[in-house]
Amino acid sequence: MYFQILERDLKRKKTMNVILLIFILLAVTFIASSVNNMVSVVTTLDSYLEKANIPEYCFSTMDGREMKRFERFARERDYDYRCLEMLQINPQDIKIDGRAFAYSNSAYISSLKNSTKVFDEEEQNITRVGRGEIYVAAELFYSDQFHMKKGSRIKISLDGKTREFTLKGCMKDAMFGSSMIGMTRMLVSEEDFAYFRKDASAMMYFVGVYEDAKDFKGEFGKLMLNTLFGFDGDEIQFMYLMDMLTAAIILIVSVCLILISMVMLHFMIRFSIAEEFREIGVMKAIGISNFRIRGLYITKYFAISMAGMVIGFLVSIPFGNLMLDGASRNMIMARVGVWLNLLCAIVAAMGVVWFCYLCTGKVKSLSPVDAIRKGENGERFSKKGFFRLGRGRLRPVFFLAINDIFSGAGRFFSMLLIFTLGILLIIIPVNSINTLRSDGLLSWFNMAPCDHVLDKETIFTSVGNSKERLENDLEEIRGVLRDDGIRAKVFREVMYRMSISYQDKTMSSLAFIGVGDVEADAYAYLEGTAPQRADEVAITKVVSEKIGAKIGDDVEIKNGERTKTYRVTAINQSMNNMGEGIRFYQEEALDFSYAAGCFGTQIQYQDGPDAGEKDRRKEFLKQRFQDYKTYTAGEYINQMIGDAAGQMDGMRQMIVLVVLVINILVTVLMVKSFITKEKGEIGMLKAIGFGNGSLVIWQSLRIGIVLLMATVLAVLLSTPLSQVSVAYVFQMMGAYHIEFEIKPLEVYVLYPLLVLVVTTATGMLASLQIRKISPSETSNIE
Amino acid sequence: MSEVLKVKDLCKTYIINKRQNNVLRNVNFSVSQGEMLGVMGPSGSGKSTLLYSVSGMDSFTAGEVEFQGRSIAKMSKRELAALRLDGMGFIFQQMYMLKNLSILDNVILPACQSRKRRESRKEVVSRGEALMRKLGIIEIGDNDINEVSGGQLQRACICRSMMNHPDIIFADEPTGALNRASSEEVMEELAKLNGEGTTIMLVTHDVKVAAKCTRILYMDDGNIAGEKVMGKYTTQKELRERERAVSGWLMELGW
Repeated sequence: MYFQILERDLKRKKTMNVILLIFILLAVTFIASSVNNMVSVVTTLDSYLEKANIPEYCFSTMDGREMKRFERFARERDYDYRCLEMLQINPQDIKIDGRAFAYSNSAYISSLKNSTKVFDEEEQNITRVGRGEIYVAAELFYSDQFHMKKGSRIKISLDGKTREFTLKGCMKDAMFGSSMIGMTRMLVSEEDFAYFRKDASAMMYFVGVYEDAKDFKGEFGKLMLNTLFGFDGDEIQFMYLMDMLTAAIILIVSVCLILISMVMLHFMIRFSIAEEFREIGVMKAIGISNFRIRGLYITKYFAISMAGMVIGFLVSIPFGNLMLDGASRNMIMARVGVWLNLLCAIVAAMGVVWFCYLCTGKVKSLSPVDAIRKGENGERFSKKGFFRLGRGRLRPVFFLAINDIFSGAGRFFSMLLIFTLGILLIIIPVNSINTLRSDGLLSWFNMAPCDHVLDKETIFTSVGNSKERLENDLEEIRGVLRDDGIRAKVFREVMYRMSISYQDKTMSSLAFIGVGDVEADAYAYLEGTAPQRADEVAITKVVSEKIGAKIGDDVEIKNGERTKTYRVTAINQSMNNMGEGIRFYQEEALDFSYAAGCFGTQIQYQDGPDAGEKDRRKEFLKQRFQDYKTYTAGEYINQMIGDAAGQMDGMRQMIVLVVLVINILVTVLMVKSFITKEKGEIGMLKAIGFGNGSLVIWQSLRIGIVLLMATVLAVLLSTPLSQVSVAYVFQMMGAYHIEFEIKPLEVYVLYPLLVLVVTTATGMLASLQIRKISPSETSNIE
Repeated sequence: MSEVLKVKDLCKTYIINKRQNNVLRNVNFSVSQGEMLGVMGPSGSGKSTLLYSVSGMDSFTAGEVEFQGRSIAKMSKRELAALRLDGMGFIFQQMYMLKNLSILDNVILPACQSRKRRESRKEVVSRGEALMRKLGIIEIGDNDINEVSGGQLQRACICRSMMNHPDIIFADEPTGALNRASSEEVMEELAKLNGEGTTIMLVTHDVKVAAKCTRILYMDDGNIAGEKVMGKYTTQKELRERERAVSGWLMELGW
């Protein structure tokens, strides 16, 4: 009997059942593939980093004297470490098949000597590089920007020496392969490396320590070594966060889809039960038990869930592989078997069936009396609407639409919930992308506000760095701007790695000082006031928490050979190196020979140009400074963090598409359900003279109004929800106070309008079936 | 007296399971201004189909229906809707109303939708209230449709049908779902409206209702099998005599 009823129901409610199947299928596909991917990437990271023999702790220095000091220190304590020598190459000194190498981060060459393990495309350990051969990271090899292929000729020049290499292939480089590390390595033979190494002006020593990171860091801090950067294994793993971004977003979308499927199921089951009150009442009257009546519904949803599970499981395999495609080029994937997809699909489908069973609980409360009293229990009838047509001026169709929503809030609530979720799914990523691209992001990286950044890789050496040299470069740029009548402040951030101590706690941290037309006041601080004297500093919240120093405390900071006491006057935030940072007063006389590097040259216009003028000036800068790359502030930061915004941007289109598809399906389903239920009312309205057009507008307006309400709700919820989701990720990287860049036109107008137009148009199209309802259907009214 | 409705050779055919079912067969009649035309006949004789076809609520297969001299077959759906809104009023057996609206809002709904009269909402409301007062249901204006009796609801439906001053009211067994007392109240109101000049065409099974009509058509198997012209009645005694006369006439026709 069940199968007969099921067959009849499947035929009768074809559209509804197909839409439900699509939802379950999508949810199963997304959840199975994204869970598999998340598990794959997390497992991969552990196994890949282990396979590559990543050290427990690593640091780098460009100072040969400091390196010797470390060697003595390590020998005394019998530490196991390896020192990889690397040479920094200016990207302008690299040519690929004769073309310029327009790479925005730092490029290095090294040999295999003392290197962490690297792997070729076939995931085989690269143990030998022949003379004249070169391997590049997957990031470069597969980039559309560089057009590299096996056999490409790569010419590298350094300190007047030039050598041409044949590209042997791409390598999976666990140590330097993450999007966030901001550098890339090219692998050459030991002979070729030795050729460049001889008399090289700049050498980077990259030291990997194979000791317990916590114990080592304690001892290492006391050494107060001048380093460029330093991080432990966990931090290296964290740098792959951006590579997991896609899988994470898909997982969030999947969870939302599951939630939406649940809301849809809840609506449909409740709706079907309310619609079939007569049949249920009669079944109860003739003695059929609640359990058997619920079984009728469960059988149908079980069948749909099983179909969704099987198809979803099959689709999740190629879909998951597609999503992992990018990551698998960069890492040796520890593929989790399809059993996980199957498990997820089964759990999702069973969850749906169980949820359906819960939703059919309403059957218990219906009695045979309901069959007689039109679905009402006879004691309390549903109440009429809040509003009065006679008291306002609204046209009847507008009034009916608004009145229906507020009178039957229950049935529109599901729609409101789904639409709100969908708009939130768009607003939160779009706000995050805009924030990651905004100029305001500079303050998160311990930089002062500016309009444009001119960037050229500046290779710092242990000798020859001086403030004068930087000042001269800045003056040259300032002069060019002045000649063109542009009044601007020109400045640059110089970066150090220093040891900072407070009481018995010591840590190594990045430190910054502004050179040029910038004062410490120009930076953003969370608490306190900017350093006003040479013996004052600001420290980041992360540094403050690690060493326990607060505003007013005196800390000791070692710059080169000199250790000096500074008073902490402010706490700020920085996303550099997981939140590390010390800010010096601009006049503090730091030893520039210990500088680890510097950011691009920042230009802040003083004449308040509008957006169009800024664009013109950007073009001017491009023309006048062809050796430099020209960025807006937001673009500069975004390229520093591995184009996280770009990666998320790729997802934006997909999310918008998914939201639109969801809204279309939900709208079709809901409108069809409403029309089925309201057939009698529609017939009556037609009988008393309402035309098809008015009735279609009535139906579509309800969708549009609910969507407008959802938009308002989503806008109100977007900020608090962003703070507990996206802001949390930024906080892990060191940014504690996040102000999201909100583009009202895009977020509150453009996208909601797109969703509104598509959804309302769908509502109108779905409502066209009203035309088939004859006024004589009035007799179907209940 | 001018003709409000003129029906010529009206045919309506359904195809059910590849079998042709002729519900209306060459029906001819007309309704004059101020008339109250009753349509009677056994179940399945085509009474309701006739009502729905001539009122433009349902299509017909062949023939001609002219309303105020205009052929409704040639009207677009939009024109038909406008005609039903402003030129016709409808009363159904069940008291169909929108349950999310109060009684008064249901009553004034057609007037609010109509663009024919330039009335303020306040004027519409006061007209609606005046009609409800006239039919003795003013006290239920703010009530929910579930809170009133069937008779009150049907009178509210009559008010709704009257809101746009229709040229004709079509009523499909308006007392069919009411008890005797309510039925008499409703028919009294319809008779009063007719007395004031409103043209009415109603379908009924009830001899008492039919006796109040000025003319009765008897339908059988899709055809008009008989016609009885009675004119208006003036006294209750006359009405009782008409009831007896109608009963006798129906028996002659095989009712």
